[in-house]
Amino acid sequence: MTSAPAIESRGLTKTYDDIVALHPLDLTVAAGEAVALIGHNGSGKSTFLRMVAGLLEPSGGDLEIAGFDLSDVEARGTTSYLPDEPVLYDDLSLREHVEYISRLHGGDGFDDYAEGMCERLGLAERVDDLPARFSRGLRQKTAIVLALARPFSLLLVDEPFVGLDQPGKLVLLDLLDEVHADGAATLVATHDPSYVDRVDRSVALRDGEVVFDGRATLDQVLSLVGG
Amino acid sequence: MSLSRAESIAVVGDLRRARRRQRVAEIHWIDAMYQVYITGIIAVVALMFLSSLIGDGQVSASVVADVKLHGPAVCGLVAALALFVGLRSGSRGGPLALERPDVRHVLLAPVDRGVALRGPAWRQLRFGCFVGAAVGAGAGQLALRRLPGNQAEWMFFGALFGVCVFCLSFGSALVASGVKLPSWVATIGGGALVAWSVADIAGRAPTSPATHVGSLPLWPLHTDAVAIVGVVAALVLVGLGMATVAGTSLEAAERRTSLVGQLRFAVTLQDLRTVMVLRRQLAQERPRSRPWIPARSGHPRFPVFQRGLRSTLRWPIGRLGRFAVLIVVAGLALRGVWAGTTPLVIVAGLALWLAALDAAEPLGQEVDHPGRTDTFPFERGRLFVRHLPIIFVVAAITGLLAGVVTLLPGTASVPAGEALIVGVMASVLAACGAVVSVVQGAPEAVDSMAMTTPEIAGMRTVYRAAWPPGMAVIGTLPLIAARAAAERAARPTAGTETMAPIAAAVLASLPLLLLVALVAGWTRFHDQIHAWIAEAMEQASPTKAAERASAEREERERAALARIEAEKAAKTEEAAKTGGAVKAAPKTRPKAGPPPAAKSKPKPSAPPKGVQGGKSAKPIGRRRDQEPS
Repeated sequence: MTSAPAIESRGLTKTYDDIVALHPLDLTVAAGEAVALIGHNGSGKSTFLRMVAGLLEPSGGDLEIAGFDLSDVEARGTTSYLPDEPVLYDDLSLREHVEYISRLHGGDGFDDYAEGMCERLGLAERVDDLPARFSRGLRQKTAIVLALARPFSLLLVDEPFVGLDQPGKLVLLDLLDEVHADGAATLVATHDPSYVDRVDRSVALRDGEVVFDGRATLDQVLSLVGG
Repeated sequence: MSLSRAESIAVVGDLRRARRRQRVAEIHWIDAMYQVYITGIIAVVALMFLSSLIGDGQVSASVVADVKLHGPAVCGLVAALALFVGLRSGSRGGPLALERPDVRHVLLAPVDRGVALRGPAWRQLRFGCFVGAAVGAGAGQLALRRLPGNQAEWMFFGALFGVCVFCLSFGSALVASGVKLPSWVATIGGGALVAWSVADIAGRAPTSPATHVGSLPLWPLHTDAVAIVGVVAALVLVGLGMATVAGTSLEAAERRTSLVGQLRFAVTLQDLRTVMVLRRQLAQERPRSRPWIPARSGHPRFPVFQRGLRSTLRWPIGRLGRFAVLIVVAGLALRGVWAGTTPLVIVAGLALWLAALDAAEPLGQEVDHPGRTDTFPFERGRLFVRHLPIIFVVAAITGLLAGVVTLLPGTASVPAGEALIVGVMASVLAACGAVVSVVQGAPEAVDSMAMTTPEIAGMRTVYRAAWPPGMAVIGTLPLIAARAAAERAARPTAGTETMAPIAAAVLASLPLLLLVALVAGWTRFHDQIHAWIAEAMEQASPTKAAERASAEREERERAALARIEAEKAAKTEEAAKTGGAVKAAPKTRPKAGPPPAAKSKPKPSAPPKGVQGGKSAKPIGRRRDQEPS
């Protein structure tokens, strides 16, 4: 039995008035595949991720998530999106965030897995504090916990290492590996060559078009991200 | 995995309850009650002020007949405008103002979006209905002072109409948002209804559907069962909106999340510039990538003027459309003034001022970026004043176009000369008001006036808000002067000199030109004037005077010490030169200054019993105290 691709886009476009953010894009990410999305600023990485997450509406083309149309509720149940800028409630503690957001996705709330993740990310002492009062790095770690402490089969990550300290970055890399090992597909938009080294497939965008698709070497990555 | 409707209700409900608990726990009840008290006082004062404006003499039977005849169409126009605004807002993702975490966590979750969105929608509806009812009842109370009828009826139907108008606007916005109505359809559909209502008022069209809704508040004067249709329409629209709310665009909802919050904050601060910028962002009104007329390459002679010109040539079609509407409104209002309805100067002035705010956009961009203007090798005022010519050019064109609307043949047509003079003068004064609005910026949170009495601070607030549009209204004075001259010429009386209306308009324009010059000077020297006022306020402040005296005293003490040191050094040097023993100079010390403000607290010789120290800085101090010196 072959499962449906995690992402399948056909002729996907996004325009803002007369500005084309994404040219017709055909891209398929297989179920359980780990893919790095690379490209310089303004290449369309975040636009593509936000469209797959359901935050932006495509201007044209088709997009299916795990075989479901983007507008289907099942597509939302499949996807977890970790943005580059943490978005958190001002009036809920970290524990309450995990509790409700996990339950909104049909999860078990603040369970052992979430607790373990908080420990690994150095948040164990802060679970009852309000993330609104956290530093940028701690807020990013909170967002990581929220993105992972719920059921999903496709993880979308946008610039995950921004604001993280070195131990946090290493933990996140391990978590991404674990998620992939558990069978979830991951699509990570990043400028960081060290992550690209860990995955078998990299997709590079330039001005909204795919300019590379395959296993990338460090030199290729640097040339593609303008390093 | 997706959640069933029941599961969605349970989880979303739990989330809302948890957040409400947290919010309620953080409410400062005294502050909340104080706010309610202040709001109540403001409402009562506003009602009394409006009552005094309206007066309490009963109107004549003919006026009552006029109100019966034209009142429904006028009130219907209000309902039509509310529907138009609602459709436009909905086509851009309104009316819901969600929080960004709700969009990211709740709406992206596999829950029933209708369940998630109906809660906020009900809350907004509840609040809007309350405000609508309050305003409507207040208006009914005011109407009662001049019109016959029962007090309870006027207030009840006024409140019902207020609720109806809000529901029409809110419901149409929800439907437009839920079905993702294209913006152009909303504009054309809503605009057509407004145009129909306007034509109905003028008696040039069959009865508009909105007119039936408009007969609701006039029920105490004239019972019209068809008015119930308005209530039904409002309920149906709200019901449809609630049913389709799940279709709200996440993209639009997220764009609105931060903008709506910032907009409310800017309105609270009376920060007009920020309000305008945010409103444009909400309406997705962006400058065109390519200007309407391509700019010439090369080095322009007047870079600031050219910069303004290029900005103007990038106006999007929506802004041009709004500009055209404002010009027509101003022109029609000026015709009304010429026909004898003097209060219409306010409408004309406001329309021209709003148009001028768009013309002042290049200047606004400079004011928005003080960090950039501060790096220029000249004062900001010199840059600002160089922006004025393009603003006045655009304003003059606006005025000429408004003048053309005013002189077009028809009812209350204004003679060409007067129309063009008044159009240009009113627009230039409106531009002055816009420049003042932009350059004065947002009020500072804490400044030298912040601690003045509420009467002074309040007057300043009113002045800041009212003076810029007030200038635009003053710009219409030449028309009133011309009208008065025309009336005198039509009914000459013995011993009274008459003047040609155009001459009266020119004469009335002269002091206005002086005002234009004053505004230009204020723009040029705004920073210096501000600094001078701040310094003057500081000089007058008793606290600052005490601080200054203290600083001067310290300075004197330092100077005395320095002088003694210098004398000692000179003597030592002299002794070294002569090789003789130096008699120690008598030790002098400067005159003791005033005693220190507060006596330092004696340090305890040992830490208080039971205190074991901790992570704070205090225990370190105690440990140091215990160490042998």
